Amino acid sequence: MNAIPAGRRQSPRGYEIRVEGHLDTRWTAWFDGLALTQGTDGTTIIHGPVADQAALHGLLQKIRDLGLPLISVNHAAPDQPPAPAGEPR
Amino acid sequence: MPIALLETKLYVPRSQRGLVLRPRLSERLDRGTASKLVLVSAPAGFGKTTLLTEWLAARPDALADEQLAAWLSLDRSDNDPASFWAYVIAALRTAVSGIGESALALLDAPQPPPIETVLTTLLNDLGAVTREIVLVLDDYHVIDARDVQDGMAFLLDHLPPWLHVVMASRADPALPLARMRARGELAEIRAAELRFTADEAAAYLNETMGLQLTARDVAALEARTEGWIAALQLAALSIQGRDDVADFIAGFAGDDRYVVDYLAEEVLARQPDRVQTFLLQTSILGRLSGPLCDAVTGQGGGKGMLEALDRGNLFLVSLDARRRWYRYHHLFADVLQARLLDEQPHQVLDLHRRASEWYEQNGELPEAVRHALAARDFERAADLVELEIPALRRTRQEARLRGWLEALPDEVVRVRPVLSVYFAGVLLLVGELEGIEGRLRDAERWLAPATGDGAEPQVLRAEMVVADEEEYRRLPAQIEMYRAGLALAQGDAPGTVRHAQRAIELAVEDDHLCRASAAGLLGLVYWGSGDLEAGHRAYSACVEGLHRAGFLADILGCSIALADIRSTQGRLGEALRTFEQALQLAGEQSGSVLRGTADMYVGMSEIARERDDLQAATQLLLRSQELGEQTGLPQNRYRWRVAMARVRESEGDLGGALDLLNEAERLYVSDFFPNVRPVPASRARVWIAQGRLGEALGWAREHGLSVDDDLSYPREFEHITLARLLLARHRSERAERSRHEAAQLLERLLLAAEAGGRTGRVIEILVLRALAHQALGDIPAAVGFLDRAVTLAEPEGYVRVFVDEGPPMTSLLRAAAKQGTRLDYVRRLLAAASGIEHPGRTEQALIEPLSERELDVLRLLGSELDGPAIARELMVSLNTMRTHTKNIYAKLGVTNRRAAVRRAAELNLLPRTRSSRP
Repeated sequence: MNAIPAGRRQSPRGYEIRVEGHLDTRWTAWFDGLALTQGTDGTTIIHGPVADQAALHGLLQKIRDLGLPLISVNHAAPDQPPAPAGEPR
Repeated sequence: MPIALLETKLYVPRSQRGLVLRPRLSERLDRGTASKLVLVSAPAGFGKTTLLTEWLAARPDALADEQLAAWLSLDRSDNDPASFWAYVIAALRTAVSGIGESALALLDAPQPPPIETVLTTLLNDLGAVTREIVLVLDDYHVIDARDVQDGMAFLLDHLPPWLHVVMASRADPALPLARMRARGELAEIRAAELRFTADEAAAYLNETMGLQLTARDVAALEARTEGWIAALQLAALSIQGRDDVADFIAGFAGDDRYVVDYLAEEVLARQPDRVQTFLLQTSILGRLSGPLCDAVTGQGGGKGMLEALDRGNLFLVSLDARRRWYRYHHLFADVLQARLLDEQPHQVLDLHRRASEWYEQNGELPEAVRHALAARDFERAADLVELEIPALRRTRQEARLRGWLEALPDEVVRVRPVLSVYFAGVLLLVGELEGIEGRLRDAERWLAPATGDGAEPQVLRAEMVVADEEEYRRLPAQIEMYRAGLALAQGDAPGTVRHAQRAIELAVEDDHLCRASAAGLLGLVYWGSGDLEAGHRAYSACVEGLHRAGFLADILGCSIALADIRSTQGRLGEALRTFEQALQLAGEQSGSVLRGTADMYVGMSEIARERDDLQAATQLLLRSQELGEQTGLPQNRYRWRVAMARVRESEGDLGGALDLLNEAERLYVSDFFPNVRPVPASRARVWIAQGRLGEALGWAREHGLSVDDDLSYPREFEHITLARLLLARHRSERAERSRHEAAQLLERLLLAAEAGGRTGRVIEILVLRALAHQALGDIPAAVGFLDRAVTLAEPEGYVRVFVDEGPPMTSLLRAAAKQGTRLDYVRRLLAAASGIEHPGRTEQALIEPLSERELDVLRLLGSELDGPAIARELMVSLNTMRTHTKNIYAKLGVTNRRAAVRRAAELNLLPRTRSSRP
């Protein structure tokens, strides 16, 4: 993954954030319209374009505030469907 | 003006829910308070707040009496240091009333000092507390501002042993935790310890909630929730009153869904529609009260509903003793909000708008702005921000103003000239110069008079939005003011003058502050360029405007500039009067001592020293010190030391002077004033007097000084110092070239100082020229220069500028005395040079004189005897001797024995033991 210098003007980049537990799709609005995909292994992937580093940290804070155990954060192409759940990446 | 504080944040929050006693954790907390910091760090819903409230409530009365508790619930708005520390002090005051008074005064000052000064003052205050204090900071994870975190690290570093900080946080705070852990200063309670154990889960479910579950059911719930307390509470609420408990638990245990989601749905589904709707609609509120809920839901009965929810254990936390304000448990509020957002996204905006209106009507503008922004009602938010600007400026909450302005869409800000101009102001304050001019132009589009080039300006004006007409009238001048500030920051002196003059012309009748600020900028530029008369005129106008605007504390700062200018002009009497008038003004203020008062005494001391009243000079400095750091401007710490160093120098204590100057250099902080007497140059002068010419040469090289430099007022002091260095080299090495260079430099300096009307400097330069001619053996020429200097110096009573030059000057003065001009004055100078005391000096120049016994102790402190020996000598106990010593130090304003003996010698308190000075 390429390092993204903080503070540089960026176009939105795609992220996949995997958390433990199945999160209902109704949380989509709470996560500013990011898509939620439930994996067969009891995890959920929150994925989609994230405006910048500040937005990413805001997102991670929301996850923290729900007490959702965080498993991984990956960089991905914004339009790329999430990797099938169940295989750790 | 103090920031308005919400009392609900200082109240130990309580929930009605029955709880499980957790002795294992209470004990850890009890033990933990032996450390500096107890950190309770775990995700949401792990019972952090509850643990702490229960722990405080369960302490036996005797302990609670010995160990006072102060509580602060933090929120995002506390990322402004002004707000954060005001709340911390307010919390401490709930434990110890009246504590931190001076620290609070510092925070409210028009020019707040560095936060470390505020905290030092607070720590001094805490030193007087005799009982233990536990300061609980709940929700510390909302703090991400670097300056708040730094302040907290400073506080922890200097924490007295009887003050303990307890933090509850969802994330580890940015503090040196590893270091604190290694030193045993940190006690931690983390998620693993906070989780309910199987026993605690059983006790909670079956005893507290009265559910009568089987061991298997309890185990299943415990396993599924992993001891997560919020989830167990939700589970208990879901189970209450159910017939199919086993089925429910089996269904829950076999489900993969996010625990809280699953259970909250169960809990909600079991509520009547009316309650469900209420919970969802009010979930957008950070705090809830009956009337606020009514406004948001558009229904009545909010108060009754809140009470019912409280009784029903529905995740409500009470925020005050009268049960007027509540909040939802954070995790539950998030779940409710997410559901609201999903089901009724459009309603969300309406709800926020109504909350914003309620807060506006109830005078809580910051909350009104927050909800207006959340409602995406940017016009409304912008109106509110505009109306709140005067208050924000008064309380220096520029960080908050900036946050709001950045949250507004740019197109909304740009059609609002008031917001555009103050956006520029905020940028100027933080030194982000690039964006300023653009913001000012945005504003100016609306201000340009419709000068006949068609209808366009009219059309434009129709789109303009102004909420505060009063501020709008002030904008033309304010824009020029900020342009002047921008020019100054960019080092553009002519631009500063141009814009500042324009600002003065444009300022509306009653905008005294704008006129004063512009005049202050003019004064700064003129002073820095050496046009002292113009500088003095401008600063006088500034003082007048500040007077009219009621900004009295800022007048003290201006007085330093006015007096410095007069001193440089050789008008010591006027300089002294400037300080005295400022002091009188400060004295007329009832209540606390105005910041800058301590600086006035330092200025007066310098004049007393020049007039050879070294005792008065010392006393004035001690007076300044006694007033305390909080009464001085940030620059006073170094200016005080420079002034004291000069007194020491005049007393012949060059080593002491050097120590003070080294300290002064360390403490140096710049203000906008031109640095017309740099500390390193003052130190170089002491080196020259000590004969350490190599070091002085190093100074000259380091600062790029040469005899061929173009002369300018800001560097004049350094160039005179360079001339002194060259003369000293000539004396020590008989280097003719140095003398020649010195003479040439002095000749140029004299012309420049005379042309600039800087008589104070002219006198010093003439003295040096006299010494230069004396060194050449040309006594008549030397006496000629000295005579000119004496003529200028006599009316203002200058003494030290001659006498500090030592024996060569004494012999020149004698030669001058033979010629008989200004004989009285020359004789006075000669008397001063030979160290003959002036009549009229009091025996003890101390504000609080020493007692006979203290004088005895002081005398022995000057001997070789150690403490016990002195006590034996005086036939008192060691403790009594120590008390005397402490009193002596306090009265002399010193902190150790050597300094006490030195001060005693200076004040001539012990003539019999007066030791020889270097």
